[in-house]
Amino acid sequence: MTTNCNLLLQGITDGIVMLDVDGYISYSNPAVSAITGYSSDDLLNKHLTIFYSSSDESIKAEYELGISLKKGKFLSEGWRYRKDKSRFWCEMLLSPLYDEQKRHIGFSCILRDVTEKKKDEIELRQNEQRYRLMVQGVRDYAIFMLDTTGHIISWNEGAKRIKGWSANEIIGKHFSNFYTAEDLEDKKPERELRIAVSTGKYEEEGWRVKKDGSVFWANVVITALFNEQNKHIGFSKVTRDLSEKKESEEKLRQSEERYRSLVEQVTDYGIFMLDEKGKIISWNEGAKRIAGYEANEIIGKYFSIFYPDEDVLNGKPSYELKVAKAEGKYEEEGWRVKKDRTLFWSSVVITAVYNNDGIHIGFSKVTRDLTERKESEKALRESYQRYRELTEELRHTNAELSYANQELEQFTSIVSHDLQEPIRSIKSFLTLIDMKLGERENATLKTYIEKAINSANRMKQLIQNLLHYSQLSKGELMQQQMNVNDLINEALQNLKGSIENTKAQILVEADVQEIEGDRVQLVQLIQNLVSNALKFTDGDTPKITIQCKKERDEVKFSVTDNGIGIAESDLKKVFEIFKRLNTEKEYPGTGIGLSICKKIVDRHQGQIWPESKLGKGTTFHFTLKQENTARPLTQ
Amino acid sequence: MKQYKIIIVENDEDEQMFMKEGFDSSGLFFIVAQLKNGDGLIEWLGNHNDELPDIILSDLNMPGKNGYDIITEIKNNPTWSNVPVIITSTSSTRTIIDKCLSMGAADYVVKPDTFVEYVPYVKNLHRLIEEKQLVK
Repeated sequence: MTTNCNLLLQGITDGIVMLDVDGYISYSNPAVSAITGYSSDDLLNKHLTIFYSSSDESIKAEYELGISLKKGKFLSEGWRYRKDKSRFWCEMLLSPLYDEQKRHIGFSCILRDVTEKKKDEIELRQNEQRYRLMVQGVRDYAIFMLDTTGHIISWNEGAKRIKGWSANEIIGKHFSNFYTAEDLEDKKPERELRIAVSTGKYEEEGWRVKKDGSVFWANVVITALFNEQNKHIGFSKVTRDLSEKKESEEKLRQSEERYRSLVEQVTDYGIFMLDEKGKIISWNEGAKRIAGYEANEIIGKYFSIFYPDEDVLNGKPSYELKVAKAEGKYEEEGWRVKKDRTLFWSSVVITAVYNNDGIHIGFSKVTRDLTERKESEKALRESYQRYRELTEELRHTNAELSYANQELEQFTSIVSHDLQEPIRSIKSFLTLIDMKLGERENATLKTYIEKAINSANRMKQLIQNLLHYSQLSKGELMQQQMNVNDLINEALQNLKGSIENTKAQILVEADVQEIEGDRVQLVQLIQNLVSNALKFTDGDTPKITIQCKKERDEVKFSVTDNGIGIAESDLKKVFEIFKRLNTEKEYPGTGIGLSICKKIVDRHQGQIWPESKLGKGTTFHFTLKQENTARPLTQ
Repeated sequence: MKQYKIIIVENDEDEQMFMKEGFDSSGLFFIVAQLKNGDGLIEWLGNHNDELPDIILSDLNMPGKNGYDIITEIKNNPTWSNVPVIITSTSSTRTIIDKCLSMGAADYVVKPDTFVEYVPYVKNLHRLIEEKQLVK
């Protein structure tokens, strides 16, 4: 029996240690040595704390021994230490030992190295922790647990983010909170759980409700959870917010729809699809407009219907498809046939169409009616031709004009000599006759001669004014600087006789010092205007004001009189050549003076206009364009 | 006062008569010849190379060779080119005057208002020739 006991102690894999009442080792079996690395001798008479981390642990050992004494046994688990200071996870059972007289004589201590088992346990625990943290940390998925009745028992970060509730708000609530009113009425939550239990899981995409009441498009997976005993313990629920995905799908759909409606509504281009054999499978508004067929009468027809017979016989339609397929596209301009069998000149692009998998599924065909373009090209050509003709006409007219101009010069020359000379001769002889007649001859005859001389004078004046007028348009305009006061004085000097005769009062108010222009012409201009002011009076003493002011890039002159004025209806006629508003007898003149004024102002790129009321005097204004030389008097 | 030898070219016979009166009465000119147009002038000059005048006074508008032709021919003939040609005409048109001067006329004098006023004309002409030193 003792031998057997010994064999048992020697062979058992659990370490068995016998301690005295104070905890000192009196026996250890070989397993103890195997576990701790200490030999039996090493351990003999050593305290139990030899297996503890430090001698400080003696308090703990005392306590454990005390407990085991009190309770009959003490089981502990914990790190214990080997001889080499390495540690092992140890299951230690302390039991008090009594002799036959029930006296306490020590303790038994069973040591078991459970490091391996513990390692698994630690790992498992770490894994669980990791997993829990992971689930909690996932932000893109709401992952939470439901109990068997559908009440929420866990909640992760993703659930909070997606659904809006925080964990403490939602845990304990029923998951039907996430469903829309319609779904609730439909008893959808219960149905989902039922399906999950019976099939293991339930999956769908649908609308779910957030805390704030808004809905989102969710992908939902509910998995029924069973424990090791196959007992149903609840559900895991994973929810994903697909709103963005949904949105992009919606966008794609809308964009497709837009594109389709765009194509359908395009009217300038016929855009339609052919299947791989060339049968028409779609038709747009433009195609309808160009070719004349409605969609329902053309879809399903072979596209050769648009080709002239000759092309069809030549196999042109199928050739075009062949080229389009081989080269990607076929392009040409050519005649096509409308529904009413009329031809139109068309630009055609046929493109081979492949699906996403690269399989040839047909052709797109874009057709444009170029008849209009052709016509507009023709119109353009014609207008160009017309333009050329016009240019030619213009050149011709120009030549004629230049010829006419030469003729005009000749005419001027003729007028200046051939007309002037006879007048001069007439006048010369009349003068001679007048001289020879003397005082004693017939007085009436002398009057006649005087009248004839006056007529000759007038004729001469007319011819000279006319010449002057025609000469104004010829030749270069002399651009010279001149003093305004000098200019006005020169004009007044030329009229000295008339001014003295009429006792006219003349006031000059020039705010501008210098102007630029053709001096001779400008003297003439002012002279003519002042001369008119002197002439057209009602017998009153003429009062004439000459003003000169700067206005923007122009200089404005005004010659104001207190004369007879001009009727409003006549204001526009004053510049017409030979236009005389009054009779020769009352107001002598040739009717060219103001025409000359107008021409001079025109040549100086200015304006001239009268301001007048019958009987209230007249003001003639004229402007002269000045580049940069007009200086105000004050400068 | 220097008396200038002058040739007068004028197609109008009446005018010629009054001109002669005016010139003769002034004593300022000696009329070498009175001719009817350019053709006559050229012919006369061709025959009288040794007796060239100091000055030629010519009308502008004449049948046959006119005043412009005379300016050109005198200027282009080395023998006569030194003889100044003064053009006289009824026209006071600037462009015509400019044309004559640019062609080489020594001067341009507008004819008097009537034939009867040639005396002041001749006096004026003489003063002009002196002032501008037209005769070298």
